[in-house]
Amino acid sequence: MGEVQKGLFSVIEKLKGTTEQELRIVLLGLDNAGKTTLLKQLASEDVNTITPTQGFNIKSVTCHGMKLNVWDIGGQRKIRPFWKKYLENTDLLIYVIDSADKKRFEETGLELSELIDEENLKGVPVLIFANKQDLATASPASEIAEGLNLHTYRDREWQIQACSAVSGEGVQDGMNWISNNIVNKKK
Amino acid sequence: MADDSEWVLESIAGYLGSPEWMIPVTDFMENKCSVFDDEDENKLTYTEIHQQYKELVEKLLENYMQEVGINEQQFLEACSSPFAKSKTLQTVFQPVLATDDFQIFRSLMVQKNMELQLQALRVIKERNGALPECLTDGADMMSELEQQEMRILQEVLKRSKEEYDEEVARRLQFEEEIGCTSSGSSADKNGFDSEASASAQSTSSIDNMSSKKTEKQDQLRSAENGEPSSAKTNTVSSDKRSLGKDSGERKTLPAVTAPVKGSEPPATLKEKSGRQTVESYLAEAQREAGISRPFNELSATEQEQLQERARYLRQQRDKLQALKKEQRPKQPPAEEPTAAPAPAPTPTTQEISVEEKKKLQKRKHLAEKLKEEVIKK
Repeated sequence: MGEVQKGLFSVIEKLKGTTEQELRIVLLGLDNAGKTTLLKQLASEDVNTITPTQGFNIKSVTCHGMKLNVWDIGGQRKIRPFWKKYLENTDLLIYVIDSADKKRFEETGLELSELIDEENLKGVPVLIFANKQDLATASPASEIAEGLNLHTYRDREWQIQACSAVSGEGVQDGMNWISNNIVNKKK
Repeated sequence: MADDSEWVLESIAGYLGSPEWMIPVTDFMENKCSVFDDEDENKLTYTEIHQQYKELVEKLLENYMQEVGINEQQFLEACSSPFAKSKTLQTVFQPVLATDDFQIFRSLMVQKNMELQLQALRVIKERNGALPECLTDGADMMSELEQQEMRILQEVLKRSKEEYDEEVARRLQFEEEIGCTSSGSSADKNGFDSEASASAQSTSSIDNMSSKKTEKQDQLRSAENGEPSSAKTNTVSSDKRSLGKDSGERKTLPAVTAPVKGSEPPATLKEKSGRQTVESYLAEAQREAGISRPFNELSATEQEQLQERARYLRQQRDKLQALKKEQRPKQPPAEEPTAAPAPAPTPTTQEISVEEKKKLQKRKHLAEKLKEEVIKK
């Protein structure tokens, strides 16, 4: 069955007949981290009418000639068990952290380390957005990186990027990292 | 080799149009599509359903390839041939592509859901008679919003009709009050008939009277439909005009309760007719409860009970009013003396019709405005 499945998927790939390359990106993080705001910012949509995500959102963004399919899945505790259903065939994980929510740094660190251990995300590059830098109480990205022990990640590429999804500041820098490190390597 | 792949491709395309493929896939979509709306956000269940769909399609294709004796290599080559890139084939392959592309899958399911909704609409139409023009014209283009507006419009019309019926009943009650003498007649169980005969100073027996009346009622019942100036017919026809509905649509409007009931008056309902004042109701309620003290000397609960009873009696009376109203135009000229002590009935009726006309005019305008808005969208 596994063999056949693989075969069928490659067939379907051909059927699509698209010469354009596609990347599957999964956008995760705790509730209220700003995932949907970031997604809408990436798609240049209005970020003022966002409500807590109960399911998931998908947007396709073109970045340096590559189509990025970004999946933003709700971060509420009751939805987190569903995350792993969305990890298959993922090319990149974007993990969003509310830099001003110090009380939940430990919780968010635990969730991230669980994801890193997922079989489907083995070796998958991680981009961490230290979001909400527009808030006065936000911790700097370097501090968060330390708290998350990012320097111990040896099996994959990673990057932490300070940003404000609301204003869009820093978001493009993160996307540039993606295009330099993943898009160009895939081509 | 090229011929080979062409054959394989045609065979696959043929399979995707065959019942072996169409039935299970369509069944699946029809069963699962109801949760798919066109909201921006996706529900978690979509993923689950998509997974089930993948499994179904894979099983179907696998079986097919085994049956026909195509191996994957052939399948692959066929699909990468230039023929596979044609527009028609791309459409045929859409349900296959949907296994790998959630967005395609989602749009197929949303589309299926909308199709089923439209089908349901058609069924409703067949059951309740034709829908108004604005619903039938290009029904496939109807958005959910428009459908909703149509429902609102129908509700508005229904309400206004109910209000109108209430108003008519109230008017008749008022008229009746004027027509009656002020003394209480709660004990008068023979109500309508004896009263009528008394005021008419008729020498004929009560029995004789009622049989005459029944005859007239029968006659008038048959004549009723043809009477264009009656308030009832006016309402219906104005609704009809303003909406452009055909006769079938009238069925969906609530039945005109008072006149319909009145056309078949049960003999028992005739029993209680008479005075309308609250006092008389209370008196009647009091009497029925066997309480002899004056109302304001009673305990709060007793008062409440009495008031409730009075309310009930009033409701019963209102029903009777509606019934009577129906009977009134049927009264033979010989009975006209009944109304003699009261103001002449003819001017009253005219007054009503003038005011009603105004009202109907207003209602018509409203309906037209609503209709316009619905159609413009």
